[in-house]
Amino acid sequence: MNDTLITYTLENGLTLLIREIHTAPIVSSWVWYGIGSRNEVPGKTGLSHWVEHMQFKGTAQHSASWMDHSIARLGGHWNAFTSPDWTTYFETLPASALETALELEADRMRGSLFEPNEVETERTVILSEREGLENDPLFQLNEAVQLRAFREHPYRNEVIGAKEDLLALTREDLYGHYRNYYQPANALLCLAGDIDPQQALALTRQYFGNIESLPLEKQLPAPEENPPAFEQVDLHGPGDATFVEVAWRAPKGNSEDFFAFTILESLLTGPSSLNMFGGGGISNRTSRLYLALVEKELAVGVNGSLNASIDPGTFTINLTKHPARSVSTLLSALDNEIEKIQSKPVTQAEINRAVKQAKALFAYSSDNITNHGFWMGYANSFADYSWFTGYVERLAAVTPEMVTNTARKYLRPDARVIGVYTPNGAEAGND
Amino acid sequence: MTEQLFSTDALPGPDDITRQSFDNGSVLLTRPNMSSPAVLIRGYLPPGSAFENPEKYGIANFMASMLTAGTRKHAFRELHDEIETMGASLSISSGGLATSFSAQCLREDLPRLLALIREVFTEPTFPAKQFQRIKTQLLTFLSIQAQDTAAMADQAFDRAIYRSHPYAIPELGFPHTLQMITREDLKDFHQRFLGPKGMVVAICGGVQPEEALGAFERSLGAWINPAQQPQPELPPVEALQGIIREHVTLEEKSQTDLVIGTFAPKTTGPDYLPAQVGNEILGQFGMMGRIGESVREKAGLAYYAQSELGSGLGPTTWQVVAGVNPKNLNKAIALIREELARFTSELVSEEELSEVRSALVGRLPLSLESNAGTASALLNLERYQRGLDYIRQLPSKFAAVTREDILRVARTYWQPDTLVIASAGEALS
Repeated sequence: MNDTLITYTLENGLTLLIREIHTAPIVSSWVWYGIGSRNEVPGKTGLSHWVEHMQFKGTAQHSASWMDHSIARLGGHWNAFTSPDWTTYFETLPASALETALELEADRMRGSLFEPNEVETERTVILSEREGLENDPLFQLNEAVQLRAFREHPYRNEVIGAKEDLLALTREDLYGHYRNYYQPANALLCLAGDIDPQQALALTRQYFGNIESLPLEKQLPAPEENPPAFEQVDLHGPGDATFVEVAWRAPKGNSEDFFAFTILESLLTGPSSLNMFGGGGISNRTSRLYLALVEKELAVGVNGSLNASIDPGTFTINLTKHPARSVSTLLSALDNEIEKIQSKPVTQAEINRAVKQAKALFAYSSDNITNHGFWMGYANSFADYSWFTGYVERLAAVTPEMVTNTARKYLRPDARVIGVYTPNGAEAGND
Repeated sequence: MTEQLFSTDALPGPDDITRQSFDNGSVLLTRPNMSSPAVLIRGYLPPGSAFENPEKYGIANFMASMLTAGTRKHAFRELHDEIETMGASLSISSGGLATSFSAQCLREDLPRLLALIREVFTEPTFPAKQFQRIKTQLLTFLSIQAQDTAAMADQAFDRAIYRSHPYAIPELGFPHTLQMITREDLKDFHQRFLGPKGMVVAICGGVQPEEALGAFERSLGAWINPAQQPQPELPPVEALQGIIREHVTLEEKSQTDLVIGTFAPKTTGPDYLPAQVGNEILGQFGMMGRIGESVREKAGLAYYAQSELGSGLGPTTWQVVAGVNPKNLNKAIALIREELARFTSELVSEEELSEVRSALVGRLPLSLESNAGTASALLNLERYQRGLDYIRQLPSKFAAVTREDILRVARTYWQPDTLVIASAGEALS
């Protein structure tokens, strides 16, 4: 595998990254736009995600079914994702069909129609998507906690948007958002796989070279570095299980603290993966919180979540309470473990173990070309590709002292939001 | 027909798959991918959940969950410390006819991981402390699942279509049956049914065949369980009669999940391949085929709406599934039934068939690029006794399916007035 990354910037500002991987006759093409729910304003939440849906509805040049069938008939797969920080579109297909992906993406960068009837049809589809999410108590809990974890920053909103906004957004809102943010200077094209770089560059020039970049009006929120004020939110709903979510402020992805925090997360709740497509994970049965909470029968499950983001985000711990225990006992045991990691240095052996796990997780999905295309653009959304290639090395440079300091700085008991979902009619539990 | 964009020689075939059977009744298939620094081990072995005593439904899955709870050589924490310190993973679960496992490690750790897999299969101690903990975890999982509209619609569908057949029972059992299971039950079930006779394992990734064979031979290949009892044959299913409508009411749910289906052709039978091609047209190709086009793209009724063709050695089903707003449920059912009526009354178009054939062939290298994809494909070769050249023959097999074949199979299995329609969500108005 050739680790070299080839970078070009076209005159219109489009950046092209190419990574040659010749293990299979496959290519994965990703177009990343610097737009996500982070750039939305109150009353217009869900715009970025809805625009993403409309990008599958056809252009002046190509119908929706042409787009869909031209990828599917090759055996390829394509999809799109909207996050708080970015929106991305990918196609993975036989290497000899790269041109099809580039033609399609260049066409819909500026040419999508946003037909009024299609906008209305998609409104109900997105409401249905949101209703599916609402069925899950963990979605409800996360939505309530994130709303309180930020005062104004849009990270407080779910990417899919608030229901009242989804009912009120207009075709003009959507089309304006699309025309403003979808242009070469706000995009990154990442190609990974069995590629001839010169041919790929020529095709990129052919399809994207004539697209003009216009002045971009980008809504940029002020980062909320300061942690949330302590708050507890209580939800009630159907079911028998009690869920707890605790959220603290986390460092942004492109910061020194992020790597120490990644080790901290791994020790507390187990290793998490940057893999988007397959590869599998590693269990967390010897993580500190599993041993302290699940082994001690205060919880039946624990997991953590930390994302590399442009602005400081949140680190969350989710717990499923043991039916015979109380929420207060569970939270008290959680606090004890956090105090321990803040007061007593972790060992170098623990860090070495976390680093080996991170290395293994990359190895498990390195045979998937689609992951490579994802990693290239993901790292560039908040840093650059060296963030990804240097990831394991930077984890290995974390010292026990850095982990202690990071735990003290971020995991403060007075600077977190606690959410509790209690089944209807149930008490908080008993010990 | 669209030109094939790759050589079939790049697909797994007799010249790069090594298959070896062992005296203990197990079979190993392996295919190297030396560009990968990792190795994936995937396999299945008896028993499954289909032959459980009704009082102890869920015992196969409970037993599978307890295998990694501690062994004679390693307590729970020591065992997982060793696995997680390697950066490896090991998961074991139970299905209808078999217990399945999946494990992964860096290539240098393969012999150690295989030795640990053998240890958890042969020397589990079912420790009392872990027994209670895992029982609580399983019961909690069931209580969470009981609020999941998709899972509840699936279970209602299975109950209605399989009726007295063992597949009507959820593989995880029920809260009251899990409560009945004792440690002694698990030990006995393990001793009598878990064994290497009928075990099939695939090892794929950065390991040469001779190295994989050697490591397997020293571990799982040498396992003998003289007490292993054979599993009985599955009983036949009863034919469907008329429309069966089931609904599970779950309060405070924004979305209702829907399953409409019938029995599928036998996976190893001649109707399966035409059904596979037809299913792509019905509800898979591109944005979920004709079903997606009708229910999502045109009517905007659902975020997902697609068809799914089951596969397996036992009886399987052919379903259309969708998630819809409760007020749109009947509309979605009507649209799906319209599409089923069209699917069973008209030939698919030449263009549809050509595109779908091309898609199925073009998808092969993508589905086989990863160690996991290859391992699953190798297990299926053995499970269905297809021969090592089957994957390379698939392009010509897909090419031989005709529009008439698809219509014949659609009419045989989908009968508009003989269906199960199951849903879960808010109360029906």
